[in-house]
Amino acid sequence: MGMTLTEKIIARAAGRSSVRPDDEVWAAVDLAAMHDSSGPRRIAGTIEELGGRLWDPEKIVLAIDHFAPAANQRHAEIVALTRTWARSRALPHFYDSVGILHNVLLEKALARPGMLIVGADSHTVTAGAVGALAVGVGATELATVLVTGQMWLRVPRTVLIRFRDVRPGFLTARDMAMTVLRELRADFAIYKAVEYGGPAVDALDLDERAVLANQAIEMGAKNGIVPPTGVVLEQFGPEARDTGRPLAGDPGASYEVVHDFALADVPPLVATPPNVDDVVAAGELSGIDIDRAYIGSCVGGTARDLREAARILQGRAARVPLQVAPATSHVLAEALRDGTLQVLLDAGAIIQAPGCGACAGLHSGLLGPKERCITTVTRNVPGRMGHATAEIYLASPLTVAASAITGRITDPREFL
Amino acid sequence: MRTYEGRAWVFGDHVSTDQILPGKFLDRPMAEVGHYAMAGLDEGFARRVRPGDFIVAGANFGCGSSREAAVIALQQAGVAAVIARSFGRIFFRNAINNGFPAAVIAQTARIAPGDPLRLNLEARVLTDLRSGETFPLQSLTGISQQILEAGGIVRFTRARLEARG
Repeated sequence: MGMTLTEKIIARAAGRSSVRPDDEVWAAVDLAAMHDSSGPRRIAGTIEELGGRLWDPEKIVLAIDHFAPAANQRHAEIVALTRTWARSRALPHFYDSVGILHNVLLEKALARPGMLIVGADSHTVTAGAVGALAVGVGATELATVLVTGQMWLRVPRTVLIRFRDVRPGFLTARDMAMTVLRELRADFAIYKAVEYGGPAVDALDLDERAVLANQAIEMGAKNGIVPPTGVVLEQFGPEARDTGRPLAGDPGASYEVVHDFALADVPPLVATPPNVDDVVAAGELSGIDIDRAYIGSCVGGTARDLREAARILQGRAARVPLQVAPATSHVLAEALRDGTLQVLLDAGAIIQAPGCGACAGLHSGLLGPKERCITTVTRNVPGRMGHATAEIYLASPLTVAASAITGRITDPREFL
Repeated sequence: MRTYEGRAWVFGDHVSTDQILPGKFLDRPMAEVGHYAMAGLDEGFARRVRPGDFIVAGANFGCGSSREAAVIALQQAGVAAVIARSFGRIFFRNAINNGFPAAVIAQTARIAPGDPLRLNLEARVLTDLRSGETFPLQSLTGISQQILEAGGIVRFTRARLEARG
């Protein structure tokens, strides 16, 4: 019986020739990740309780991304505590206020195909974009990994999501993920692995694959994984073959279920509050006025997202405040280099510091009572971006940009 | 493993950790988060819940963010256990890692707000003392059971490290 890519990664990490769904194993972790919210402030004490020694600083990544730039004294103290701890441990992979952890892992090629990656954040799954098995845990469990280098895993059943045809130019990876959520709902993959495949996936760039991997957590999944093909295989294939890490599932791999999706008739989509899976066509919501538009977060603030927004905003102006928070400073630099930034600024966009900010409900653009926002962030649960009565509509950067221009929810095809 | 008795606080499906402990309280020290338990759904919950009470919810309780403070907040507020039809996996893992009972039963809809409940973790059964109905708890398996029995993942890990020498 063949194994899926997720099963092969677990087998290798556990030092076994094979594993099957529901097996429990102890596995050697290749990379452990945390940020200023889940990191030192929450784990330093546990690490001391467990003897105080880190298993391998080379395999630990820490980013300050939640509370920077600090909005108040409490934030400033968390940032300072994080920085002090990172220095005292001489961490080689410490990213201080330059972007969101998940995006940094991909940008710096710290996440590689076939790795087992664990992070103290639910969106750790984003690293599945390169074909890694990336899972989120809580802070205390991460602390035990930082000391032992190991974690326990129950082998998940794998669900294969296949996009069979070619994606129309007005659809983004976010629309692809919302198509899945619309059909299969927000809890279809609890405790499971979600693997993506098919011609429309093979054609995606790394930023787009990151969207699919990221949104697996909103499906309830343990991990989302995009097996390395196309540009990702070109970039990482040779090195992965040298290390012996798996790059693909076995030909006879057994999936719990395979879901096929066709994209030809899918319109641009919007997830309406309060659920990520209440998904409808943007065109059906054209009577809904918005107060603000926000482009940012680990899933919606990449260089690709900013370029997509600029496609729509070129030569046009936003009618409502349009905030753009690049996921990392590298994304901002790229947007400057390729002219994207000028287009956004000319359209009236406000550029913010890189980081999690408003997506995590922390700072830099929180929503007030009943304020209505269309945005590329990760989630729309009430209170996610501020007040519990604020309304968060999730959409692709194309749809967010189009809506910013008109001041109401708008199908981006009006401007393409 | 012990028996708990308390009242049921009933919530629906897909209760997110963003609602159990909203992001605006993430900058608080862990010792204070209990004041904000369930604040995203019911700001008065932390004041009104009595030690030993239960949260009873539908599917996917604790979905979303990995924030461990969501589990800690419920523990600090005095919640004895969460009973749900299913859990978000990170919340479930965090609960076990902190020695906090998170139990799965199939028929959560049969429990009404305010029902007196008895949870017997040894016999793995939940009893609704109003209706007299009993509900078997889905079993934990292997390693997760060992971690819960050890009282959480820190104690469990310390024992593993000592065994390794």
